[in-house]
Parts: sequence; structure tokens; C-alpha cells
Amino acid sequence: MMSIVLAGFVDALGQFLRPENLAAVLVDGLAKAGLYVMIASGLTLIFGLMGVLNFAHGSMTMIGAYLGGLVMVTLVGSATGAGARIVFFFVALAASFALLAGLGGIVEIGLVRRLYDRPPLYQILLTFGLTLILDELIRIVVLFYGMQPTSDWVAAQGTKPYFLEQSVDLGLVSVPGLDLFEIGFGVLTVATLWAFLTRTRYGMIIRAGSEDAEMTEALGIDVRRVFTVVFALGAGVAGAAGTLLMWESTWGASVPLAADALLPAFVVVIIGGLGTFRGTVVAAVIVGMTDAVMTWWFVNEIRFAGLPEMTIFLLLVVMLVLRPQGLFGVEEVGGH
Amino acid sequence: MTLLEVEDAHTYYGESHILEGVSLDVAEGEVVALVGRNGVGKTTTLRTVLQLTPPREGSVRFRGEDVTGLKTHEVADRGVGWIPEERRIFTQLSVEENVRVAVPDDGDADAAVEDAFGTFPDLREFAGKDAGTLSGGQQQMLALARGLVGDNDLLLVDEPSEGLAPQIVKRVAEALADAAEDTTLLVVEQNLPLALDLADRFYVLDNGQVVESGDADETSADDERLRRYLSA
Amino acid sequence: MLALAAYPGIYSVLVNSPMSSEMVALLPRVETMIVVFYFGLFAMSFDFISGYTGYLSFGHTAFYGAGAYFVILAANGKIPLLAPDTSFVYLLVLGGLLAVVLAILIGAVSFRLTGVYFAMITLGFAQVLYVFVREWDYLASNPSDGPAVLERTDPFSIGVPGIDSLNLAIGQLAGDSVEGLLGVLSFNQAEVSYYMIGLVVLICYFAMQRIVHSPFGKVLVAIRENEERAKAVGYATFWYKLGAFAVSAFFAAVAGGLFAGFQRSVSPENTFYFLVTGDALLASIIGGFGTLAGPLYGWLFDETVTEFLSKAGQGGGLLPYLREHLGDATMATELYNGLTVGQAIDTFLNGHAELYIGAIFVLFVLFVPNGLLGTVRDKLGGPVGEQIAARLRGDGK
Repeated sequence: MMSIVLAGFVDALGQFLRPENLAAVLVDGLAKAGLYVMIASGLTLIFGLMGVLNFAHGSMTMIGAYLGGLVMVTLVGSATGAGARIVFFFVALAASFALLAGLGGIVEIGLVRRLYDRPPLYQILLTFGLTLILDELIRIVVLFYGMQPTSDWVAAQGTKPYFLEQSVDLGLVSVPGLDLFEIGFGVLTVATLWAFLTRTRYGMIIRAGSEDAEMTEALGIDVRRVFTVVFALGAGVAGAAGTLLMWESTWGASVPLAADALLPAFVVVIIGGLGTFRGTVVAAVIVGMTDAVMTWWFVNEIRFAGLPEMTIFLLLVVMLVLRPQGLFGVEEVGGH
Repeated sequence: MTLLEVEDAHTYYGESHILEGVSLDVAEGEVVALVGRNGVGKTTTLRTVLQLTPPREGSVRFRGEDVTGLKTHEVADRGVGWIPEERRIFTQLSVEENVRVAVPDDGDADAAVEDAFGTFPDLREFAGKDAGTLSGGQQQMLALARGLVGDNDLLLVDEPSEGLAPQIVKRVAEALADAAEDTTLLVVEQNLPLALDLADRFYVLDNGQVVESGDADETSADDERLRRYLSA
Repeated sequence: MLALAAYPGIYSVLVNSPMSSEMVALLPRVETMIVVFYFGLFAMSFDFISGYTGYLSFGHTAFYGAGAYFVILAANGKIPLLAPDTSFVYLLVLGGLLAVVLAILIGAVSFRLTGVYFAMITLGFAQVLYVFVREWDYLASNPSDGPAVLERTDPFSIGVPGIDSLNLAIGQLAGDSVEGLLGVLSFNQAEVSYYMIGLVVLICYFAMQRIVHSPFGKVLVAIRENEERAKAVGYATFWYKLGAFAVSAFFAAVAGGLFAGFQRSVSPENTFYFLVTGDALLASIIGGFGTLAGPLYGWLFDETVTEFLSKAGQGGGLLPYLREHLGDATMATELYNGLTVGQAIDTFLNGHAELYIGAIFVLFVLFVPNGLLGTVRDKLGGPVGEQIAARLRGDGK
């Protein structure tokens, strides 16, 4: 019995190590990393500067998915060409970034700002309460328009241009077009945020404020205003991430997306080190790859559907045991 | 003219009463030393001026304007710079960025960086390095540079010689003396000879109150008035 | 507490009074009160560790779920060495002990961390278990829907094990009803479940209360206030935290066991999922973080609002009440662009209690950080019961 299992395992390992399978897993992993980095970036920016673990982040992603879907479904008809669909997608992206950034700004000024002087627990509580409100509001709206809040918004998924539904032949393997789009999108997001943080004066101020807000304030910089801007930015990126997820068959716009996006975002941010953008990027790749590898093993050998998800949470636990501050984190951040 | 006036400031950390009515003033162009034992409220006095820990009673006036209760960045904008204890440079920013971040939005950052490296040539070769990799002395130079480029009329300097080797202390003292030619300084310093050497006048703080003051040039470090409050 | 003992009686009097429809709309049903009891116990156990030591146990559902699954699996003969008809009280205790073991394993690594990291590692453990339970087909034919009681023929009874006359069965259909006790008292199934589950919760409450007021409990509060100082004074804080974690896990599992016994089926979503901890957190904050009884009142509040905004037949509520009293003309009045009053209520209120509870929760976090019970205690200057008693005696402050 044991030897049969073992033989099957060795056989599967041989399969797994074949170049075409490894290449497919690599592309899948990078595509997943692209999504994870989108989901987690906003969370890490906000935590880095303000030390606020934003539990409403997943809800903001979810709202972004619905907003993006709304724009797409409104603009795209069955006759809309592929090029126009891509253009509309960027319109949708800009719209959900802008609206979520606005929401983030309002939340920071109206609510979070009152709590900076209290222990970190209160910010967790506040943003947790916010998720209840946001999720229920969206549920009301979605129900009002006669849709099911718990199932994916299929019409929105159908607004993809045809070439993202097809496979692209890369020689060694053929991969889903959407995967390539997600990889490109992740790279673009990382590059944009990276350039913003390291090449602009505002980015420099954000990094200075993340390290020592009081000292930054004493240099004549209105750190509170920077807080508002970064909270808005983080929320906006969450919204953009949601718009990207709307097209994905494994995610899709639905109310439970809030929790489904929040948990991996936490995992990525903790593994990378709370508040370090570099860490978040590296961790997104690690988590994406782990997810892809485990998905391959589940599909091909180990009949346990929870394998990828469980491994990701195990990764979180193991990381916290071995190196609580994460890959690139500074000790003490996040404790109390 | 009087640049800074602190009048009867009472400052608390939570419930502990740290400053129990501090009054002092600094004239434009002066170097004033604030001396006293550990924990008597010297750092808190500087923090009170900057409104980092605003006084519950009393007032702080800068150029005759009451700045009590303003936000810290507003006070800093009016021309008050801070070179804090333990320097607090941004370790994850490059040396050059540490200087740039201190330049006001309308200032010329490139010129400021050139200025800073002119004053502290040692820093130039590390311009692109993370400031966290600098030695203690270099970090103190950087902190001074950061304070100087902010176009400040008053610099609040906290323990500039702390934890530095004697030769480095000398360099820091020279840099401070140079700085004093264009700006006004309020310096907290444990090293009494250094403090008296730098300063025109001094205040002695004990238990949250000013207990002595005088002319630095006429007072030696072993003066009885100082020793009473400084010896442990 | 005394008011709770008389609640079913009061409820049945009030809903049959001339104000009947108002009372049906406002008051939680006895069935709802049962949920308040067992989930309130879970929230208390969460508060016991999180509110008293300051360590946010965001994976507390691991223990609630373990207790709940243990009862159902035992009843289905899926726990080795345990017969399906093992006494329910034994199952509660064994489930609790299982959770203690689990808590020691999780706590041993988790208590090396603090703050956000502690919350995250416990969340990680609970989510690993959640995914595992959701997918493992040994547990149920469809593990993502969870198991229900299939094999056990005995009802789940609470009482002295082995003596039938000192046991009463709980459950919505399988429970006992009692007639003519002491010649006058009769209780229907819901009321019997109410008292029996309430009894267990009360015992657990007193047990936790004793621990909180013991020297052990004082050390826990010292850890919350300033762990470094507690260490410096010589307390091995790690072992105190681990002990408190084990105790709270035990009671969380008992709460889960009561839930399973009463509902006779469980699912991963209503046991192990991390949002269930979120509900306990909500109850604790509204009721009063770090006040043991507070979370129960917090959850009572939550359930009352939920029921108030539910449909007819689920305990009544606002909409059925308004339908009955406003008349069709009012309900059909158009508010805006074809939206009638009735539809507006249906859209924005019915079944959307979470929205209002969330808003209230946020207001509590901002303005009433000590919660209901904590604030009342601050005002009175001590535990409510004691203070009222003192005032009645005339020696109040």
C-alpha cells in the first residue's frame, strides 16, 4: 500500500519536473503573484506609514470589483471590439481607483484619524466594523438590482476581450492570455508604485514618515495630510486590484470576495514584513508560486481541494514562528 | 531682538508633570545652552517649543507670535529646526535624501544638497548610500546638515556630543560653532565645558524649573552655582 | 442574571398581552435567547483571553469549531473509542479537553509573539483548520456543508450522566418538554433548552468569574497593563498566558458543543471560519471588552437587532409589525421613482441588520471604548449587581 502511494508520488514528481509542466506552473505562479501584489500593496503602504492594519481592505477590493464590473457592463456591448474593451478596462480601472481613493480619504479624515492616539487594537476594531457596513451596503445594492451577492458576477466576467480567453503559445507551453495580462499588470503596478516611492519627493516623504513620523513633522511636513493621501492611495490600489479580479474566474465580483481577498493580503504582507513594499513584492511572488505549485499537485496527484489554500496559511504560520518580522521587516513594528 | 520666549510652561507626559513652569528666552543670533541632570526636563523643553508635547499651561512665542497649540509642522515652518537626541536620521533613506527631505517645498533642493556636502565633505562619498550604514559621527553630521538646510532661524540641538568619540565631538563642536554664525541655537548638552565653550548664555534646569542662569563666558565649568545642580 | 432566569415566562406573558404585536416585534424569541447563551459563552471565552490579557486571539474559532465538530462526530461514531450514545455532558467535557490540548500546541508557538503578530498567527492556525475541515471527506459526505447527527438515537441531554430522571434533552425537535412540574410549571421544548443550556453557560460563567478574580486573574490583567513590569516582578508570564489560553479554549469548545447539540448539525462556515471570531469580537466590544459578562449582553444586543430586522415567522420584527399596523395604503406610498415605503423597508432594513450593527459597532469603538457593561460599571464604580445591592441597602457612594 505504502509503496503504491510512494510510486505514484515519484511518478507525479517526474511529471512535475518536466520542463513544460514547470514552465506552466511558473507562468501560473507569476500570474497569481501579479494578483497578490495588487491586493497586498495598498495594505502595506497604509501599514508602513500609519501602523494601521486596515481590515476594510478586502471590502475596498470587493467594491472595486463591482465598480469595475459596472463600468465594463455599461460600456461593453456584444459588438464591442477587443481593443475597445481594453480601453474601457482602463477607464474602469481609473474609475474604481478614483472612487475608492475618495472613499479612503473620507474614512481616514472622518474615522481613522480620531484613533491614532489609541492602541493599535482600536484601529483594527474600527476598520473591522467598517467591513460590516461596507459589505452589507454592497449586498443591499446588489440585491436591489436583482443579482445574487454571493455568486460571481458572470456578466462582468464576460466583458473580457476574446484574446484574454484564449491560450497563447509560448513555444514550450501554451498559457492562458489572462495570465499574461495579470503578469504584465502586476509588473506595471509594482513599477509605478516603486517609481512613485523612490523617484518623487512625495514618495520620499512617505518613506521618511514611515520610518519616523514625528521627526518628519518636525521638518515642517504636514504628516497628517500625508496620512490622508496614503490612506486614499492604498484604498485606490485596492480598488484597482478589485477591477482586475473581476475578470478572473477563480475570484470574480461577489460580496464574499471581501474576505477572500483580505486573508491572502494579510499573508503576503506579513510574510514580506509589515510595511515594507519590497517585502510585499517578494512575498507575493513566493505566495503566488506556492499557490501555483500546490494547485498543480492537487490537480494531478493529491486529491485534496484545500491544498493550495491550506499551504498558504501554513506558510504564514511557519513564517511567524521562524521570523515574525517577515522577510524584510524591522523588528518591533507591529508588536506593542 | 528676542526670537524665542518660553513663559511659565507646564508640560505633562500622561499624568507625570515634567515641566513645572519653565521660563526662558533666546535672542536672535545668540547661542544658549540648557544644562542640568538627566530627567530634569531639558529634552521636554525642546519638545515643548516645537509643540511635540504642547504645554498644558504657559506659552511659547516665536518672533513675538504665540505658537502655543499650533501643529508641530507649523512651528517648524516658521523657522524652527530640531536636531534631536540620538539623531533620528532616516536610516532607510539615502544620505542625500535625508538632506532633500528637509528642504521646504519652495526651496532649491539641489543647491541645499550642494551646500550640505560643502559643509560636511565627508558625507559626499556616501550620498547614494542608505543613511543607516553611516557611523555615529557621520550620522551626527548628517543630522546637523538636515537641520541647517531647512532654512531655520532657530535650531534646537539635543545632546550633540552624546555617544561620540572625542575627536568627533571636536568636529561636531566646530560645525555647531560655524552654524552659530548664521543661526540662533538652543543647545542641550551634558558635556559642560563644551556647552560653556559654545554658548553665550546658559540656563540650569532642575526638577522641571529654571534654577540658575548666567553668562557663559564669565562662568567656568566648576562654578559652584553649576556644580550644585549637575553633580550626581 | 436574575432577569434572564424569568425571561421565558415574561416573554410568554408579554406576547399574549394587549401589546402583543409590539412585544413580538421587539423582544427576542426564546429560541433566539438560546443562541445568545451559547454564542455569548463563546464570546465570553474570547474575551477571557483577549480582553483580560490583551492578546487578540483572532483564531478562537479553532476551539469553538473543535468542540462543535467533536460532538457531531462522536454522535456519528467517528471518534475512536467513543460510542455514538455517549452522554452529552461527557462529550462537552471531552471536547473541552481536546481544545485545551489544541490551545497548548497553538499557544506554545504563538505566545512568543505579541500584538498584530499574535493575532495573525492564531488566525493562520484557525484558517488552516478551517480549510482542512472544509475539505476532509471523513467528516461528512459533503465536508463543505458540514456534518449532521445521523447515527445517535439518544437526544443530547444535559444533567447528571447516568441518571435519566436528572437529565433533560435539548434541541429544536428532539428536545424534552416538561409538564406539571411542582404541579404548576410547564415548559415547552424551547424553554427546556433555554434553561438547560442557560444552566451550563451560567456554570461556565461562574467558573471563569472565579478565575478572573483569583490571583491568577490578577496576573492576567497585570500582563495586559504592562507585561514587562509583570515579568520584572517575577511572574513567568508565558505560562500564565498559556494557562489562560487553555482555559478560554476549554469554554470556547463547550460553547461549540452546546451549539452542535442544540442545532444537531454544523458547517465549517459557522464554526471554524475567521468571521465567527469577528462576531465574538463584536459582541465583546459592544458589551464591554475585559468585562466577563459584557460579551453575553453584546451578543444579546446583536441578536435582538438581527431579529428585529427579520421577516415574519422568524420572531417577528419591524417589517411584519409595520405591515400589520400601517395599512396597505401607507406601505404602497411612493417615496421616490417607483420605490414604495414597503419596498424601501424591505430593501434597506429587512435582513440587513449587519449594516446597523456595524454602524453601532463603529460608534462604540469611537465613543464608548469600554462597551455597555464597562461604561455602566465606570459610572457606578463597580460591578453592576454589587453596586445596585449597595444602593438598595443605602450604603452606596
